[in-house]
Amino acid sequence: MARAAVRAAVLAICTFLTTLSACSTGERVDLGQGAAGSLIVAIAGEPDQLDPHKTSAYFSFEVLENVYDTLVEPDANLQMQPALAESWEVSPDQLTWTFHLRPGVSFHDGTPLTADDVVFSYRRIIDEELTNSDKFSSVTAVESPDPDTVVLRLDRPTPNMLTNLGGFKGMAIVSRANVESGQIATHPVGTGPFSFLGQKSGDSISLGANPNYWDGPPGVSGVTFRFISEPSTALSALQAGEIDWTDSVPPQRVTQLRDDDSLELAVTPSNDYWYLALNEAREPWNDVRVRQAIAYAIDRDAIVQATSYGTAAKNQLAIPEGNPWFTPYDRYSSGGLDRARELLQEAGAQPSNLDMLVTTEYPETVTAAQIIADNLAPLGITVNIRTVDFATWLDEQNSGNFDMLMMGWLGNIDPDDFYYAQHHTDGTSNAQKFSNREVDRLLDAGRVEIDEPTRKSDYAKAATLIADEVSYIYLYNPSVIQAWSPALSGYEARRDGAVRFRTATLNEDGGA
Amino acid sequence: MTHPIARFVARRLLYSAVVMLGVIIVVFALVHLVPGDPVRIALGTRYNPQAYEALRAASGLDRPLISQFFSYVGSALTGDLGVSFRNGDPVTVTLLERLPATLSLGFAGIVIALAIALPAGIYSALREGKLSDAIVRVTSQFGVSIPDFWMGILLIALFSTVLGWLPTSGYRPLFEDPAGWLRHIILPGVTIGVVAAAILTRYVRSAVLEVSAMGYVRTARSKGLPPRVVTFRHTVRNALVPILTITGIQLATLLGGVIVVEVVFAWPGLGRLVFNAVAARDYPLIQGAVLLIAALFLLINLIVDVLYAVVDPRIRLG
Repeated sequence: MARAAVRAAVLAICTFLTTLSACSTGERVDLGQGAAGSLIVAIAGEPDQLDPHKTSAYFSFEVLENVYDTLVEPDANLQMQPALAESWEVSPDQLTWTFHLRPGVSFHDGTPLTADDVVFSYRRIIDEELTNSDKFSSVTAVESPDPDTVVLRLDRPTPNMLTNLGGFKGMAIVSRANVESGQIATHPVGTGPFSFLGQKSGDSISLGANPNYWDGPPGVSGVTFRFISEPSTALSALQAGEIDWTDSVPPQRVTQLRDDDSLELAVTPSNDYWYLALNEAREPWNDVRVRQAIAYAIDRDAIVQATSYGTAAKNQLAIPEGNPWFTPYDRYSSGGLDRARELLQEAGAQPSNLDMLVTTEYPETVTAAQIIADNLAPLGITVNIRTVDFATWLDEQNSGNFDMLMMGWLGNIDPDDFYYAQHHTDGTSNAQKFSNREVDRLLDAGRVEIDEPTRKSDYAKAATLIADEVSYIYLYNPSVIQAWSPALSGYEARRDGAVRFRTATLNEDGGA
Repeated sequence: MTHPIARFVARRLLYSAVVMLGVIIVVFALVHLVPGDPVRIALGTRYNPQAYEALRAASGLDRPLISQFFSYVGSALTGDLGVSFRNGDPVTVTLLERLPATLSLGFAGIVIALAIALPAGIYSALREGKLSDAIVRVTSQFGVSIPDFWMGILLIALFSTVLGWLPTSGYRPLFEDPAGWLRHIILPGVTIGVVAAAILTRYVRSAVLEVSAMGYVRTARSKGLPPRVVTFRHTVRNALVPILTITGIQLATLLGGVIVVEVVFAWPGLGRLVFNAVAARDYPLIQGAVLLIAALFLLINLIVDVLYAVVDPRIRLG
């Protein structure tokens, strides 16, 4: 009797499991808004908040890129193109910029966009001293003479004004009502190609297509961003057809995925870069020859391999090849330890200890530090790796309590973003205390130079000097790694890491 | 004249309330005991004097300590745990949004664990020293040693990528989509269930063995009772008390959040929430989560205590 009961139970469970799996085979996971033609993508973490002016998290910007617009925006080559502003003029003295807004644009709640919204958005960033207020450092007034016109008044020519206004969605035009209701952090209202539908805490955010988008309605009915932080899970979900796109890709599997025809893979060197900086307020690092010795001794190939499984692009300057601001430079790749020893001898310096500051917040710094310690050992330098949390790291950096540190800069577009704060004597992020009169002059000139070729040559000279004089030891540009289903078309991976789904379309038969 | 179980429960409730008050004090002290200024640390790179003052005032940290304490206790008792440093969301709402996923996974894990551990442990104990006992013990040793993230990734690779039977990750609420809930919970549930089962099996086995050596079991056997009656009425029932204890502890641990499994399966539970809150130094959220998890622990302890009393009448008098 008992045996029969057990058998019946086993049979029932099996039947049940079969039914369960039968109905799931090949079926896409419906996340609530999963109408036909809706995109499901996986990002590696949950946005901390959705207020574009206040968040600094990349996960937030992956979502907000599709919800908000800026006055102008970068195209695939990072050249600024019209967006909410249809056209603009600059006065002959370069101190007045007049933007003409695109007619007929509305927020997702139906309110028409006016010049007042632009003024409100910019004044919010300036008056509340939000993180991005430095983009307006030359702006003295923001005015709206009529509902279709915005005027910016400057105290000095600012050739990178367009990049400042449109480089990323941190400069988005927001809705005053949305800000004043306090809803912007959780229910953002923009003018972008997709509108915010809802968020499931810890699970996903859903966007719906904006049929009235000024650049034409998107090719998919919506986008659901799932939060899958484990890259191997995200990849499995892509291979199982549950998601259409992800940038949560295990770098160690990139080589294998390149040969995999069942999915599309993009590995694009980004504008982000990682660097070492030596504290020039301390001996012997104040001697340029000692700093150069370190630059020669570092093995960039090994660092790239260890931090990114070889997916990053090593670089002796900040800006990667392919970027319009790229400058060729190769000083430190040959010579190695021999050249390093010579330089130390010339300087008459024999440093025996080096206090290296790294943080667990950015694991690449911890990984690279071990290789650097190994690289410098033959020079008789013992690297003491000090691993701290990021808040402590910032405090130690700002109080100059380090010999060397490793860190990265993310999301820069204009060369002024790459160099001024970091290498100008009065730069706000010049923790290494670098000071070079010629570099200062070039960076000051580049800030106001209107002539494009002259500006380019100023920055090329500055970049070369910065590396020659070793303000930073540049290491590599990490790659934007994204994978998607062949059924997804009309999408391209961008070097600025902006994730735009407005032109994407989904071929319903292609993926299955 | 009250029922003994009611009196017993009332006493346990009183103990729990005292412990909970202690937890609230510790959680309150947390913010004041961390080195450095929590507001400065929480702001990190977003620091500027204006944001600092705003957050300090909003979180009440500018008021005298004693007044902060009473308002924290007062708010906590009415279910208001403050707002998140990161995005201004009410902590209570955020925690309650995550609770169903955590409860689902915790209970699914413990049910799967018991379904494996009870038969395996009892069987192994009854066959002590035989080959089958050795097999169960080796298997459970193996189960304890498997890292849960590795097992999770293998399960996903097999059942989602290769066979396509089950979804790789994600969660559906039970009451909105019961079939979806079940399909999504199987893989993470099995992952934590198997590891928990390996631990439980060893406790079940040793508890049953211990009771088997008791005089009353020998007496029952020598009275000529059928082996099944001896096993279930005399041995297993008496072994239930230690088994309940360890099951309660296991369940409480699972409800406290299984961070690794939640990360692997993109499960929107408390574990990942706490992990992210700690990384972002979101103190109100950390405090709220610790309170909630402590409350769950106490609740489970209470339930286990009551079950003791049901299983073993002697405990009611204790």
